[in-house]
Amino acid sequence: MPTARQLEFESLIEPHLSSLYSTALRMTHNQNDAEDLVQDTLFKAFRAFDQYQKNTNFRAWAFRILVNTYITAYRKAIRQPQKVSYDDLEEFYLYKKLDESISLQETAKEDFLENFFEDDVKDALENLPYQFRLVVLLCDVEGFSYNEIANIIDAPLGTVMSRLYRGRKLLQRYLWSYAKKRGYVLDEKN
Amino acid sequence: MKKTEQKKFNCDDIEKRVQAYLDDQLSQEEFVLFEDHLSYCLPCDKKIEFEQKLKVFIKLKAAEKECPKSLEQELKKIVRSSNSQRKT
Repeated sequence: MPTARQLEFESLIEPHLSSLYSTALRMTHNQNDAEDLVQDTLFKAFRAFDQYQKNTNFRAWAFRILVNTYITAYRKAIRQPQKVSYDDLEEFYLYKKLDESISLQETAKEDFLENFFEDDVKDALENLPYQFRLVVLLCDVEGFSYNEIANIIDAPLGTVMSRLYRGRKLLQRYLWSYAKKRGYVLDEKN
Repeated sequence: MKKTEQKKFNCDDIEKRVQAYLDDQLSQEEFVLFEDHLSYCLPCDKKIEFEQKLKVFIKLKAAEKECPKSLEQELKKIVRSSNSQRKT
């Protein structure tokens, strides 16, 4: 028979399995690696469960372990954050591009989003440099607050914000290039 | 930001704060100035509306709806194994 402690862990983590897996999948790019990553995370989390303080944010705690496990496992691949400057990325990129290329009424911009396949969006996310991808996933997909993300990735708030903002701007550029490639929009004014 | 009496945000102020606004991270004061600008600037209002839709759209499209059954079994195995030793 499982102990009360074991059952407590299980009931706490079970509701978050699919979001842990979802994030793992976007970070590792494939199902097998994502499953391995979540398995390792579950194992470590269970072993460290004594350090979890009751009634604190369990979900953030579990994601922190996921991120640490990911960084340890993929240390080689992710060692050097790209030194590219993303400072010059402008806001509203996608909106402005749509404005230039379709020059239709506002409803066309909403239809444009409807055209995207899930896989396009997932691909675009997976192509982001990992440090941006992680923060965008945690904020926009998993709904964590800036403070929670700072805690999960162990970085100052300012770093979280700058990665998030740049990541989103990059993502808009990727989505635009998918839209062109897939023919969702004509390249320039027709 | 001290002197708020006649302060108004221009379009550049909006662009600088759009992401914090989307994440509900503006101070009360900035939030009011931000929304005030949107109330009379249609181009900014349209842009912000698009960004809001985009954020919802990404969340909808990017989350996996379920996780593999093997993970649920693995969780049970990890939790129930008496010594919690990892099987290789």
